[in-house]
Formats: sequence, structure tokens, C-alpha cells
Amino acid sequence: MKTWKKFAHVNAGTVDEAASILKAGKAAIIAGGTDILGTMRFEILPDYPEILVNIKTISDLDYIKEESGMLRIGALTRLEDIAKSDVVSAKYTALAEAAHRTASPHIREMGTIGGNICQLTRCWYFRNPDNRFNCLRKGGRTCYAMAGDNRYHSIFGAVKKCLAVNPSDTAPALVALNARIKTNKRLINAEQFWDVAVPGSTILDMDEIVTEIQVPTPTKGMKSSFIKFAIRKSIDFPIVNCAAMVGKKDARICLNAVHNKPYRALKSEELIKGKSINEKNADAAGAAAVEKARALPGDRNKWKIQIARTMVKRAILACA
Amino acid sequence: MSEKEKKTNEGERKEGFGHISRREFLRDAGLVIGGSTMGSIAFASETEAQQQVKESDVAKDPCSEESADITTIELTVNGGKYGFRVEPHWSLRQLLRDEIGLTSPKDWCGGHGACGSCTVIMNGRPVLSCLTLACECDGAIIETAEGIAKAKHPIIQSYIKWNAFQCGYCTPGFVTTAKALLDRNPDPTEADVRDALAGNLCRCGTYQQHPPAVLEAAEALKRK
Ligand code: FES
Ligand code: FES
Repeated sequence: MKTWKKFAHVNAGTVDEAASILKAGKAAIIAGGTDILGTMRFEILPDYPEILVNIKTISDLDYIKEESGMLRIGALTRLEDIAKSDVVSAKYTALAEAAHRTASPHIREMGTIGGNICQLTRCWYFRNPDNRFNCLRKGGRTCYAMAGDNRYHSIFGAVKKCLAVNPSDTAPALVALNARIKTNKRLINAEQFWDVAVPGSTILDMDEIVTEIQVPTPTKGMKSSFIKFAIRKSIDFPIVNCAAMVGKKDARICLNAVHNKPYRALKSEELIKGKSINEKNADAAGAAAVEKARALPGDRNKWKIQIARTMVKRAILACA
Repeated sequence: MSEKEKKTNEGERKEGFGHISRREFLRDAGLVIGGSTMGSIAFASETEAQQQVKESDVAKDPCSEESADITTIELTVNGGKYGFRVEPHWSLRQLLRDEIGLTSPKDWCGGHGACGSCTVIMNGRPVLSCLTLACECDGAIIETAEGIAKAKHPIIQSYIKWNAFQCGYCTPGFVTTAKALLDRNPDPTEADVRDALAGNLCRCGTYQQHPPAVLEAAEALKRK
């Protein structure tokens, strides 16, 4: 097993302390560690952190509570705890199911919700060991997926010329549930949270730390669902996933792993809003979701379009 | 192996490898030494077995002298208390194997967190020791397959009965994961078992054998 190159390690006592270390630069946060430790072990990034700031030692960031019309989840809450929570399963089904379908049981026991939404892309050029492909997301000049093997890449085009997709399972659920993400600096609508950064996948500043996820309790009659297509039923990242929240008056549908950020299927939402949930309507909404989808030259990722269409349809049907 | 053969074998090992003799010792005594500057580290209790540890049985302190960032951690492994001086870049797996001599946490996928063969139970959760930093385990209570076997947990007999392994490489990972499930959920359904073991890979394809083995262990536990 490859061992890590050396780094210093600090157990942070407070969010402010962690943020101040981050601000000084060359530092990275470790929570569950399942993403950061992999990127470090295989040295996929050009820069290796000098300091790892452990935020697991900060108290009061691990909770699930429902109060005044809102579900509040501490950033350090393990995915498995979210998946197993009765209140999350009952009213925020899409999120419980997304947490449950993330990675493997072990990784869910370790990985946190904060980490899951901040994880880096799984693009295989980006993730190649020893920074073999110094791509756009690492400060390089090329997206290697443009001309290379892009069978898992974006079907909705590039963002800042990068074709990688966001691999989070909980992200589309949070968008569908209209969640907000609280940091040490601000409150961000889930929809605005993700971006194409170097090398990150969020709009967060260097010294910004996610502290809480807030999900408004869905109004009566709204149901939510999450489904995922992956090569294997467990362990794998999604090829395409989809979360939906549908009821009489409203509909929110979000795909992920199809674009650099979670992709809201606005047209499908319009189509299904107020309609009865049946095979025909769901199918039409699925078709609408991929109207703007385009396979990359060479058609290698064309298969994902059909899958995305079907995921949207099934996610809607699951809200019946 | 005859008693005599066994002795010679151990003798050879003792001469050849400081680490192995320590490991044998630990296995037999069920505890309890840590990195080498043990004198300076607090231990829970000084047992007779500990007093028998010879200087030569103890490996050289693997923390390089210059490293400024050494922390001391104390943790409980399979019921024994340990103290270690660790560097930030050590994995828990490395600590368990190289320092304590517990070889059940395997390395199959090379530390990607993709196979489950390095699973140990930490504070009740099945976790991947390859993706856990040793320095973050201060105060942790850890169980490995060795401890589960030593405690004569019924899962062991039931795995043997159901032939839930071929080469056995993945087995400690399955056993720890299954034990963690049974600790929390004494009455699992077959679906629960499949779900809990979904992150453990088996190259030999023994998958079908695991659910009945775990369910039978659950039954045995209920009778206890
Ligand atoms: S060695 Fe494969 S998950 Fe740890
Ligand atoms: S028994 Fe051989 S890998 Fe599982």
C-alpha cells in the first residue's frame, strides 16, 4: 500500500480555528477522510497539503434535528446516520435514500454529509495518480476528456471548458429538497453551491467551512425520491442519479453526474407540476429532461442520455 | 503440528524477526505493548505478561527522530490498552499491523477504500483502516478479527460451517463488518445482511455463503 507523504496534522477545536489555519494556505480539511486521503495517497493534485486540519474534533457539528419547519443536519454527520434516521427517511426520503446509496457501507460510516457535497470530481484524468494529467481543474490548460475517453463525462456540455461531472449522490437530493448550506460565512442555496473551481467543486472560499445543512420540511402532499444508476449496486459512483420532489402544486427534479454541477431539469418540472403521476406523464418529463443533452463527439457518452431520461421518469414515478 | 515442531518454529521466528516474536507474544497474551519508547508511555496496567517482554522483543521506535509532529495516542485494541507515538501520515492499518502485529486488516485495493478487506470495528462502526489516520484514533476502541475470534464470537464457527471463504483473504473484513452489524442489530433480515456486507469484495466469489452464515450467528447469539 502506498503510504502518504508527510504532512502536519492539527486537531481543530473550533470552526474559527480551522478557518484561520486554512486561511494561511497550504492546508486542507479532513473530516471523514475518504476523499482527501485518497487524493493525497495517490498524489493526484500538483500541490500536497502541508497541514491537515481535523475538524472531527470540533464539538456540536454532528446532529440531526427537526425544528421549526426545518431539518438541520450538522456537517460532520455520517452518511450512514442520515440513511438510518427515521425522521429523514419519513419526510426527506430523497436525502435518506441518496445517503444510503452513496459508496459502500464502510464509507458511509466514515464519510460526512459536509464532505460528500464538497468532494472532488471522479473524472479519471483528474484522478490519475501522480498528477499524470495536469488538467484544467489542476491549473493546467487542457481537459483531457475532450479528446480522450469520455464515456462517463458531461452530456450537458462543458463548464469553464471542463467536462467532468459532479459525483455526489446527496447533492441532487439537496437541490430537489430545496436545501440550504450553512458555512462559517454565509447561507447558500443548494442550487448555487457547486461550481467548477481549481481543484474544488464548490463556490466556497479557501477558508470557508460547511457547518450545517438545512432542509425545509416538504409541504403536505409532497413526496421525494432518489434513484441511481451505477455499474454495481454498491460501492460505485453514479453513472447518472436523480432526485425528485413532486406534489400537486410543485415539482423539483435534479440530475447529477451528467454535468459539472447538479443539473436541474426545469422543463420536466414544468411538465409534471400539477399533473397526475403516471407512466405517460413521467415519460414525457423524462424526455424533456434530456432535450438539451448532447453526446460528445464520438458518441462515447451517448448511453448516458437514455439513462438520464429513464432516471427522471423513475424518480417521478417513485413520488406517486 | 507437533508440540516440538511448534516450538522450533517459534524459536526460529524469534531469532529471525523481532516483530514476529512480538506478534506471537501478543497473540498469546492477548495484549499489550506499543511503540518502543514504551517506558515513557502510560499503560493501563502492568500485567505479568508485560513484564515478560524483553527489550529485544520490542522494535525500534519507528517515528523518525526529526519529525516534529509526533503525537501520543492511547487506544484499546481487542480489549488491551496501548500507547503509541505516531506520525500524522500513518494509517490505522499500518499501526495495527506493523506495531501491534495484528495482520487481519488486509490490503487488497491498495488503499482506495474500495474493497473492505482492511475493515476494523472502531467505536462500534465498521471502518476502513486504510483510510483512517492513526493519529486521529486517540481514545478509540478498536476490534479486529483476531479479537472477535479470541472472544469466541459465534460468527467464527458459523463462517467455518458455511464455508464462507475460499482463500480467506477477504474474510477478516467480512467478519468484522458482520460483527458490527450484529452488535447493532441482533435480529437482521437477509436483506440487512446483504446491505451491510455490500462493501466487502471477495475475489473467490463466496458471496452466497455470507448471508446464511451471518443469520446463523445471529441465531446462536440469541440462544446465548
Ligand atoms: S484496503 Fe481496500 S478498502 Fe482498505
Ligand atoms: S475467499 Fe478469497 S477473496 Fe474472498
